[in-house]
Amino acid sequence: DRQTLVAVLQFLRRSNLRESEEILRREARLLGDDLGGSVATVASSSPGVAAVAAVPPGKGSPGGAPSLSSPGSRDQVSVVFAGSTVKGRVGGGVVVEDQPDVSAVLSAYNQQGDPTLYEEYYSGLKHFIECSLDCHRAELSQLFYPLFVHMYLELVYNQHESEAKSFFERFHGDQECYYQDDLRVLSSLTKKEHMKGNETMLDFRTSKFVLRISRDSYQLLKRHLQEKQNNQIWNIVQEHLYIDIFDGMPRSKQQIDAMVGSLAGEAKREANKAKVFFGLLKEPEFDVPLDDEDEEGENEEGKPKKKKPKKDSVGSKSKKQDPNAPPQNRIPLPELKDSDKLDKVMNMKEAARRVRLGPECLPSICFYTFLNAYQGLTAVDITDDSSMIVGGFADSTVRVWSVTPKKLRSVKTAADLSLIDKESDDVLERIMDEKTASELKILYGHSGPVYGTSFSPDRNYLLSCSEDGTVRLWSLQTFTCLVGYKGHNYPVWDTQFSPYGYYFVSGGHDRVARLWATDHYQPLRIFAGHLADVTCTRFHPNSNYIATGSADRTIRLWDVLNGNCVRIFTGHKGPIHSLAFSPNGRFLATGATDGRVLLWDIGHGLMVGELKGHTDTIYALRFSRDGEILASGSMDNTVRLWDAVKAFEDLETDDFTTATGHINLPENSQDLLLGTYMTKSTPVVHLHFTRRNLLLAAGAYSSQ
Amino acid sequence: YVTTILEDAKIYSSHAKKSSVDADDVRLAIQCRTDQSFTSPPPRDFLLDIARQKNQTPLPLIKPYSGPRLPPDRYCLTAPNYRLKSLQKKVSSSAGRITVPRLSVGAVSSRPSTPTLGTPSAQTVSVSTKVGTPVSLTGQRFTVQIPSSQAAVKSATPTTPTVQNVLINPSLIGPKNILITTNMVSSQNTSNEANPLKRKHEDDDDYDNL
Repeated sequence: DRQTLVAVLQFLRRSNLRESEEILRREARLLGDDLGGSVATVASSSPGVAAVAAVPPGKGSPGGAPSLSSPGSRDQVSVVFAGSTVKGRVGGGVVVEDQPDVSAVLSAYNQQGDPTLYEEYYSGLKHFIECSLDCHRAELSQLFYPLFVHMYLELVYNQHESEAKSFFERFHGDQECYYQDDLRVLSSLTKKEHMKGNETMLDFRTSKFVLRISRDSYQLLKRHLQEKQNNQIWNIVQEHLYIDIFDGMPRSKQQIDAMVGSLAGEAKREANKAKVFFGLLKEPEFDVPLDDEDEEGENEEGKPKKKKPKKDSVGSKSKKQDPNAPPQNRIPLPELKDSDKLDKVMNMKEAARRVRLGPECLPSICFYTFLNAYQGLTAVDITDDSSMIVGGFADSTVRVWSVTPKKLRSVKTAADLSLIDKESDDVLERIMDEKTASELKILYGHSGPVYGTSFSPDRNYLLSCSEDGTVRLWSLQTFTCLVGYKGHNYPVWDTQFSPYGYYFVSGGHDRVARLWATDHYQPLRIFAGHLADVTCTRFHPNSNYIATGSADRTIRLWDVLNGNCVRIFTGHKGPIHSLAFSPNGRFLATGATDGRVLLWDIGHGLMVGELKGHTDTIYALRFSRDGEILASGSMDNTVRLWDAVKAFEDLETDDFTTATGHINLPENSQDLLLGTYMTKSTPVVHLHFTRRNLLLAAGAYSSQ
Repeated sequence: YVTTILEDAKIYSSHAKKSSVDADDVRLAIQCRTDQSFTSPPPRDFLLDIARQKNQTPLPLIKPYSGPRLPPDRYCLTAPNYRLKSLQKKVSSSAGRITVPRLSVGAVSSRPSTPTLGTPSAQTVSVSTKVGTPVSLTGQRFTVQIPSSQAAVKSATPTTPTVQNVLINPSLIGPKNILITTNMVSSQNTSNEANPLKRKHEDDDDYDNL
């Protein structure tokens, strides 16, 4: 509301309605200090000129530095909207109002002066930075890209097309190589109309680009910019950039390069300070006899321990709560049914026969190739016990296959069900229809390519999300569609069931991820904050957090309980397409179109490793069952295995690192790489470790 | 594309009572069309706003032992989306009376039990729903309201609502599939034609008894 008032004031001033403006100002008592700086209005003689600079509060820049752009030869009205009063990434925002003038006022780019002089300003800054000391140069060079983009967008917005073009031509080559994709998109934006409707660009304009600069470098920059007469750049810096200052040594180019790359700069220090419960939930205890299979069904949770020689209790033996684990009832989770307990028993048995992997003992890889997939394979999932594979295709079908010799059976029709003997012991077998058993079941229902699939942990349900904007729940007992969850009105790129079932997350083109429960037709939580599409969504093993990777090249970790973003990880140079949590819940591995796998420590919010080796987008990442090996599959037709134990040992995660971002990534990708396995021109779409640590991979054969 | 735009522009200009199509009309026509065909996702502040709203409500508790957890039936795709037409022949009613099998299944708590015409037979269940009278059905099925306008009786029904509106407000009935039954005008003249109509509708509604 404050902002609308200010905007109206500006509008009145612009229309030369001085008296009304005075009256409104008096009534609203706006000559206050709330604007956090001196709002100096120069009632100058030249009509229509008013230079107002408002220093947004809460920024790192010291005190109000009112920079009045001296009128001089400038006749344009510079309209500034009072910057962000909200400390955070939403800078002012675009107020969607009916009056086009007010919104135009609010979102108008500050015409900081003569458009033809922009090139001068930029090259002046460039010269200064290049002449500065080596240690500061790397940090100050971070300024180039955001300044370049904002100045270009200003020119375009104020319709100086030819100046914009020449500005672009002259300086786009200077930018870092990893911004080239963005610049290509930018070069096609030449008119103001192009900017409308491009949500990513609008978000970029209204949010502040975050730069982390050491105090020394910042002082240097500030001194220089304030000395100059035309400190337009200073205005732009204040308005569009958020400079997060840290005390310490300036970072080297290498360190900076590792962390930058996202559409909104880096992450602010406060963004990664919240406490994250990354521990695992305790498994409920119940007894499992190792030998006697018949007595499985009789064991119940909480029964007093039988006197058996070999006893294996599922769950942690210690009564102490892991300090890093969330309380059991932090979020409501479905109770454990009998069938779930049986599943767990099976899991334990298989786990006992699990192969321990390591650098000496690599897993065998079994590759499932989808031949003749002219339907365009777009998504694959495998059940946890590796009994079924589902493929989502571009022709909007979902196909389920049985991997084991046991065929897929659906429940009998109602007429047949009334005929069976309901009292017999094997009633669960009898309700299944033998006549229509088959290896493959095709599910029809979507009206667009299916981009994500996910089995429920109890193997009763299947989720699929598609370009038609819906997420569909299918029953794997009747092989029919049960529910269509409509919420995203735009393509949904990924979906996943929670590890305990009942909840699922979906992320799509509308830049949000939504948390749903199977019995609510509307989402329970909406995670908004990304600047571009959400391309990948994963649950943390304890089901309390959700990681989303996005096309704005950041990964965000969200808390399910209250929807807050608790971590922001920047560093990738391309849209993120795969995420994997380590089984112990402490680490996150991410893969993107830049071919690098980055490893993150969730507790500290730091990047701890970088695995180089792939040459194309990484679409599949999976940790082995005990977390010793990380497998990555990519479009370059290879599966690579990395030593996860070694990658995560000896982490230097002290306060200095978190505060300053001085990460020192060891160049040990080659050491960590345990093996590269080529496929015959089959990009790898999915990876899955069976319960015995056999690696399954899936992809569609492409003949080129 | 161009002809569509120009046609739209013509409509707008005639609405504004202009003599010829203006550039503004064309601009408006283009804008309206693009708003229909090309939508972009909502802006960020809007998303943040609704996210804040949604995220304030606590996560709902999960009822234990509740079988397959699905949304209420009207949001599911589990209901049959077809009707079976049975092959029952028309029962020729004596004296033009319509014998209507009792079609309501399930507990129907209250019905206005006034017969519309003075001669309800044992077989005829005539429950008329006057327009606007809510029929509260607690059962999951619905009742078929057959206006018992009879061919023979021509005079006795001054107050028989002319529109035996059998439109049962779906919102009153439970989540199951609702069939909107006949909306028949009980004009006596047309009762004969109404007969086969009614029959058909009854047949259509029969499937729900299965």
